[in-house]
Amino acid sequence: MSWETVIGLEVHVQLSTKTKLFSGASTGFGAEPNTQVDLVDLGLPGALPVVNKEAFYKAIRFGLATKAEINQVSMFDRKNYFYPDLPKGYQITQMEKPIVGMGSITIDVDGKEKLINITRAHLEEDAGKSIHDLFDGETGVDLNRAGTPLLEIVSEPEISNAKEAVAYFKAIHQLVTFLDICDGNMAQGSMRCDVNVSIKKAEDKELGTRAEIKNINSFKFIEKAINFEIARQIKLLEKGESVVQETRLYDSIKNETRSMRSKEAANDYRYFPEPDLLPVVILDKELEEIIEGLPELPKEKEKRFIDEHNLEVSEARILSSSKAMAELFEKASEKTKDSNLVAKWLVGDISALLNKDNISIEESKLSLENFVKLIERITDNTISGKIAKSLLEDVWETGNDVDNLIQEKGLVQIQDESVLEEIATKVIQSNEDQVAAYKSGKDRIFGFFVGQVMKETQGKANPKSVNDILKKLLG
Amino acid sequence: MDKETVATISYLARLRFDEDNKEKITKDLENIIEFVDQLESADTSDIEPLANPLEKTAKTRSDEITAENRKETFLENAPDSNEDYFLVPRVVE
Repeated sequence: MSWETVIGLEVHVQLSTKTKLFSGASTGFGAEPNTQVDLVDLGLPGALPVVNKEAFYKAIRFGLATKAEINQVSMFDRKNYFYPDLPKGYQITQMEKPIVGMGSITIDVDGKEKLINITRAHLEEDAGKSIHDLFDGETGVDLNRAGTPLLEIVSEPEISNAKEAVAYFKAIHQLVTFLDICDGNMAQGSMRCDVNVSIKKAEDKELGTRAEIKNINSFKFIEKAINFEIARQIKLLEKGESVVQETRLYDSIKNETRSMRSKEAANDYRYFPEPDLLPVVILDKELEEIIEGLPELPKEKEKRFIDEHNLEVSEARILSSSKAMAELFEKASEKTKDSNLVAKWLVGDISALLNKDNISIEESKLSLENFVKLIERITDNTISGKIAKSLLEDVWETGNDVDNLIQEKGLVQIQDESVLEEIATKVIQSNEDQVAAYKSGKDRIFGFFVGQVMKETQGKANPKSVNDILKKLLG
Repeated sequence: MDKETVATISYLARLRFDEDNKEKITKDLENIIEFVDQLESADTSDIEPLANPLEKTAKTRSDEITAENRKETFLENAPDSNEDYFLVPRVVE
């Protein structure tokens, strides 16, 4: 039997506004519990919500970047459920008329592009945090996060496997950080997603019953949770059993998903138009201003890098993969006037170090200033490329100044040709056998002499000078 | 309206009724639904849904912090709290 997987994602993006969606309390991360709370966030009777326009502007930026329809008149609805981290007893969200309608985004999987349609993106308020394990028999509630604006981005069920789901999540992450509407900080929960997974027979037209995995906040866990869930559902179906439509949680320690609500009555959110809020209108003038203020998007950047700097597609793609990476490339290119060398280092050694440490460029200790120095010391022949590689590793670990490290460690390249000649002569004199072999026509042995000279100089010789000198001496 | 529907609605609203009241509530609910059902007879096919009886649009705020930290006052007013958190009966996930 051949099975097909159908996946849809709901991505929750915390918008980087200074204040909450309906109150003037701060949204800053990491404050002492319950210090960033206003009357509205507490759900005190009589306290009315007032819309933060900036949240709408940020949502619209996303809509424009995904070529979506923008609903210039949008409305809020009330979604009812009881939970202590939501003191009002309901969440204000957008059901009938979301700010952003149907759009799309292109994802990249193993070099192949695929278009994923986005059903909608709507504004809603985040809930507070419940702390279960700190107090005996009680749950502690911190309402600092309650009311933080979220943009919920709902994809069409057009994602076919875990890899595509991760690529989709990454594309959204890249886009919202480029647009400067979310800080993209996964560890702080700035982006979370719910994944809907269902399985059907390849020939079936209708979708299978889906299970929803809630609240995943890392690229790695999305992939693992989906793969576990696909295997679980296929196993059920092959035994002739059926999948239950339910909400499941992913346990990253056991690497499994498990049912969250088993016997409880099905949720009935009883949506209705939010009576405390009037429709929000975005004027043409406002929309035009947002359009004008849109930054260059990843795909546009990629294309411009190829045109302006004569880069390969694969290089341009890495350099435009994040806002911080693109900025580092452009600023360093401007300062050093050698965009090709800058690109080579960023795509090569620096990307390798990023992968090894599994961090992004803004999390690394490499500053623009230090990177520029590294490139300049290569181009002005102060250090050899080989030394630069080990120097980079040092800078990467410590963040120390490149020039200081060169001085301290005595890494300056030997410029004086007579010094090199002296060393080369010594190498030739002490390796008579190899010299004889070389002279008898074994050209390959030439590399041995170069290696010896580099070893003697601890890598500080310019390889080209060494080549020239050895060629001259060996005749 | 059957007993099960009444039970579901009262569960969703977190309201409990004793047996005597249940019958009365069921009747009341039936009356309300009957009353609202009258609206169904009106032809609304050409009418835009009305989101709000005030034909106005929302006033909005700019993105500036106006709330002060009133943690102590808020926690004091809660039925149960400690120095940092509101406390509620344990909610198990």
